[in-house]
Amino acid sequence: MPKEKSTKNLSSNLKRLSEITDWFENQEEVDVEEGLEKVKEAASLIKASKERLKAVENEFEEIKKETDIKENKEE
Amino acid sequence: MKIPNDAIFSISEYIELLNLTLGKFTAKIVGEVSETNPGPTGHVYFTLKDEKDGSVIDCFIWKYNYNLYGIKLEVGMKIIASGHPNVHKSYGFKFIADVIEITGEGELKKQYEVLRKKLAEEGIFAKERKREIPKYLRKVGLITAKQGAVLADFLSNLGKYGFKIKLIDSRVEGQGAVEDLISAIRTFKKQDIEALVIMRGGGSLESMMAFNNELLVREVVSFKVPVIAAIGHHKDEPLVALAADLAVSTPSIAATTLTEPWRQVDLLVETALSVSLQKLDNIIQNSKMNLENSWKDLIFGFNSLLSKISRQLENSAKIIFLNNPERQLKLGYSIARCRGKIVRKLKDTAIGENIDLKVSDGTIITETINLKP
Repeated sequence: MPKEKSTKNLSSNLKRLSEITDWFENQEEVDVEEGLEKVKEAASLIKASKERLKAVENEFEEIKKETDIKENKEE
Repeated sequence: MKIPNDAIFSISEYIELLNLTLGKFTAKIVGEVSETNPGPTGHVYFTLKDEKDGSVIDCFIWKYNYNLYGIKLEVGMKIIASGHPNVHKSYGFKFIADVIEITGEGELKKQYEVLRKKLAEEGIFAKERKREIPKYLRKVGLITAKQGAVLADFLSNLGKYGFKIKLIDSRVEGQGAVEDLISAIRTFKKQDIEALVIMRGGGSLESMMAFNNELLVREVVSFKVPVIAAIGHHKDEPLVALAADLAVSTPSIAATTLTEPWRQVDLLVETALSVSLQKLDNIIQNSKMNLENSWKDLIFGFNSLLSKISRQLENSAKIIFLNNPERQLKLGYSIARCRGKIVRKLKDTAIGENIDLKVSDGTIITETINLKP
């Protein structure tokens, strides 16, 4: 299912991001080239994650709205 | 009937002829007992005298009827006799009394009290003897007058509990009613009923005398199922009511006595139903509340998760920003490399060796010419 896949993506993105930040924090010898590569990767991961997060948030709001409507109808 | 003038009858024929006519003269006559002569067969001969002018009439009552009404005829007693005149072949003219009843409130009261005392001594009215009216009855025998408010009152209070009422119509007024009442009760003895109800409206002691009849009282006491008496009265409670297993004052109370257990069942069912519905409603409300709470928790949890992710992304972005080598270079720092390794200390290079300086827009190639600790 695509939705599950995207969610999984978000969580794997976050995992990867965390690995990168750890890498930066623990690196004694900064390899500029590699650092740059990681910065680029991280930036795209952050961008993708933010987009995904926004989509998830919207989807969540939709579900919330639907559920609220159902409750109101019952009452 | 017109009798031809020249007709000659035998005595027997003439007596027969007389009786044909006399039989039509049924009447109630009132007088004082002036003579009484119980015969050896149990039938009773007595004479009634007119109080005013002393006229007398010879009377006769069959043993069965004499015993039925429970009145012991005594000289001086004032009675009403209902019957018809008759000429007997051997004994001559007699008034045949079918019913005898005492008249005069005082005498009636006396007779009532005597019988009441006698029956009380026998324990007929004792509470211990009385049977409980079974609950949840359906088959009920009813003795009352078909015409009248009493029956209507009873029936209208029975409700819709599916009673099977068997009615035997009976006279209830005056002494003559005794015969009907006893016959009705004997008929019910052979029928499948669970209780017997005997009813009549209120009245004077005189009109109520049938319900003070000893034989009827004994029939009630020995009846196979419990008897309810709903007999109205002014002051002297009828002996039948005293002897009955339950005496109530009105037909409607008699009816509610029968319906009450059923009504209680209905009430119980209704209450149980209402309690069950309430419980069910509580369960639904609780489930709804649980669901709402779960939903709220879910929203809260998910919002927290979103915030957490969001914060993590912000933090990561900050760390990446701070660690971005390009940022360092732009700030004026450069990275020195000798033989491909980053130069951190003097020992990382030697005089004459090349050092590559990485700056923000390119690389400067230099040579180590001196080392100063």
